[in-house]
Amino acid sequence: MKTWKIADIWTFIKNSFTAILKGEFLLRLNIGRYFVHIVYTFFLFAMVIWLSLMIETSMAKVEKNKAILRELEIQHSQKTFEVVKLSRRSEVESELKRLGSNIGEPQKPATVLK
Amino acid sequence: MAEQVTRKKRDRIGVVLYLVYILLLIASVLLIARIIHIQIFFDPGQKMTDALTPANVANTVDPARGNIIDCNGRLLAMSCPIYQICMDCTVRRDSNSPEEEEKWLDKARQLSAGLSEIYGDRTPEQYYDLIRGARLSGKKYLKIGKPVDRNAYNRIIELPLFCEGRYKSGLIVEQESIRQYPYGKLARRTIGFVRNNKSNVGNTHIGLEGKFDHILHGTDGIEWLRVTDFGRVRNSDSVYTRAVDGQDLRTTINIDYQEIADKALREQIQNEADLEGACFVLMEVSTGAIRAMVNLSRDRDTHTFEEIQNMAIGRKGEPGSVFKTVTLMSVLNDGYIHSLEETLPATNGNVAGTTIKDPHIPEFVHSHHTNRISVIDGFKISSNYVFATLAVQNYGVIRKGKKVDYERTEKFLGNIYAYKLGDAFDFDLDGLQTPTIPNPKTRYWTDTDLGSIGFGYSTEETPLHILTFYNAIANKGKMMKPYLVEDFEVDGKVTTRRGPSILTAAVCTKAVADTITRALKAVTEEGTAKRLKDAKCAVAGKTGTSFGTYENGQYVNAAGQRKYQGTFVGFFPADAPQYSVICMVYSKPTNQQFQGGGIPARAIKTVIDKLYNIDPCFRESIQQ
Repeated sequence: MKTWKIADIWTFIKNSFTAILKGEFLLRLNIGRYFVHIVYTFFLFAMVIWLSLMIETSMAKVEKNKAILRELEIQHSQKTFEVVKLSRRSEVESELKRLGSNIGEPQKPATVLK
Repeated sequence: MAEQVTRKKRDRIGVVLYLVYILLLIASVLLIARIIHIQIFFDPGQKMTDALTPANVANTVDPARGNIIDCNGRLLAMSCPIYQICMDCTVRRDSNSPEEEEKWLDKARQLSAGLSEIYGDRTPEQYYDLIRGARLSGKKYLKIGKPVDRNAYNRIIELPLFCEGRYKSGLIVEQESIRQYPYGKLARRTIGFVRNNKSNVGNTHIGLEGKFDHILHGTDGIEWLRVTDFGRVRNSDSVYTRAVDGQDLRTTINIDYQEIADKALREQIQNEADLEGACFVLMEVSTGAIRAMVNLSRDRDTHTFEEIQNMAIGRKGEPGSVFKTVTLMSVLNDGYIHSLEETLPATNGNVAGTTIKDPHIPEFVHSHHTNRISVIDGFKISSNYVFATLAVQNYGVIRKGKKVDYERTEKFLGNIYAYKLGDAFDFDLDGLQTPTIPNPKTRYWTDTDLGSIGFGYSTEETPLHILTFYNAIANKGKMMKPYLVEDFEVDGKVTTRRGPSILTAAVCTKAVADTITRALKAVTEEGTAKRLKDAKCAVAGKTGTSFGTYENGQYVNAAGQRKYQGTFVGFFPADAPQYSVICMVYSKPTNQQFQGGGIPARAIKTVIDKLYNIDPCFRESIQQ
């Protein structure tokens, strides 16, 4: 069995460097066997980047919709406030008076038909 | 030869590719070296760090504050935004050409006309001078008018110049969510408010808003925002705590009844210069639900009556003759009298063993040609003599030589506590005063105290305590706890129901309650509250008038003026009570008289007459 020596490290670095210069480093490692995996890894990286961009876009849309929703809620509360204000007893009375209506306070309790 | 050419060609391509490869290799080596350098050795400095690091800031998500609604679901308090319009008057001032600047000022003139129309506090010229002056002096923050609602805001942002956006017009909008009360000042003290804690006013949490702030407010949420190309978005990788909106609070107040009571009381007191305040409480007999609570105090600045202080729970005073009913219940419960027709000697009106004197008794003796007065007659004319005598005779101290036995007196005072007139019970609003009941074992106790308690002096009660007691009589002895909060709701679904609760299962027997009701009816039919005789339904109740004390302990000042506290308390319809009611007026030192049978009785009559026409319990039904 071959034993490793310190000089072998130097030989390995030298061979590797020569291989890199010759453009044969990956071929010597026989990396071609894993080519599909490498491509798949790159594909995953690309997907992660793409998805995070999509999430960012969606979140931006969420923020925009939230702002629209807030606006609608504000309008709703404003309208509700105005409508409730108009339902005040004295307000109804003065409005009826202004419109010349004869309707006023009841003069006797209502009679319920059973 | 051909083989040599092919090889040469291949070599040239190979060499080019090789060179490209070497270049890329060098570039990658440089890149890796640079990455290592940046990661380990490079110090970008604070400025570059701030610029390159996406800001990730915590943002508090405010929950929507719960609404307060009346018993029929109508909104009494809700949250709405208001907008403060401001202006950066220096916008584009330095970059504009003279022509552009002239155009800007022209638009500012049109804007001023619009602002003047919307705010109405300045003329168009004044607004224009304000904006132009601020532009010349370089003012970056000019407040325009007071905060406005959404409608006005919509109109303002459509005005010339402002419609061009903030970068051209300098428009700054500050939005703030505030509490709005659609029914204005109605029940404002009961609904209450939560003041900004920065306010220098001591009590920042008032009324239902204050007491139930923790439920109405909800729970704050937290989200982390980061800056992206699309603006600030929530960081989906960070923790997000959703805000929990506040719950809605349903009160027992009926806002229609509140308005009727408010109007009736204002009509009676607004022209009385010597009155400093009045309160009115309407309560449902069977449940103790408060349907209206009006508290009007004279404003020091405007001198008009406003909801400033909750007198119904926070102002205690000597109740006066309305307390005679307590004495009557006590002697009936303890069996000291068995009938309202039992009589007492009526001579000069002096209460035996005390210095108490009733000037009405000689008058009664003279007009009725009698030397005895029945309990019911004493109740009708509100005789202090009769009730002081009942108290002293039945609960007076027993002296055995030097030894003084207070057992009977303590029994009477114990009865008062049993009627819940001695303690502040748990109520839906903070600030319910504890009544003052003297104790014979203290050095403040005097010989006249027992007699004067008998007709409503020497004790202090709040209007709510007195009303609770009368409500128990109307409810045949069952004392209900007054309450203002019906339940808490989320989206119309009840989450916590509060509802009615009992203070004391029976403060008296049904027979005693009926007997007292008969006496109270006599007061409105023939006694001191005859004003209520022609009300649309029969009323049972009692008037009371007491005098406030001055600093020297006297009831009259040097000018002969008194401070009146006039009360009417009762219930209606007398035969099948649905509502109990109290009205109390408080005067300044005055020579005028403010009796319980006056303003309070008149205000209550107005309310009863109106409620009679609209309340479902007064409806008649016929078979089709």
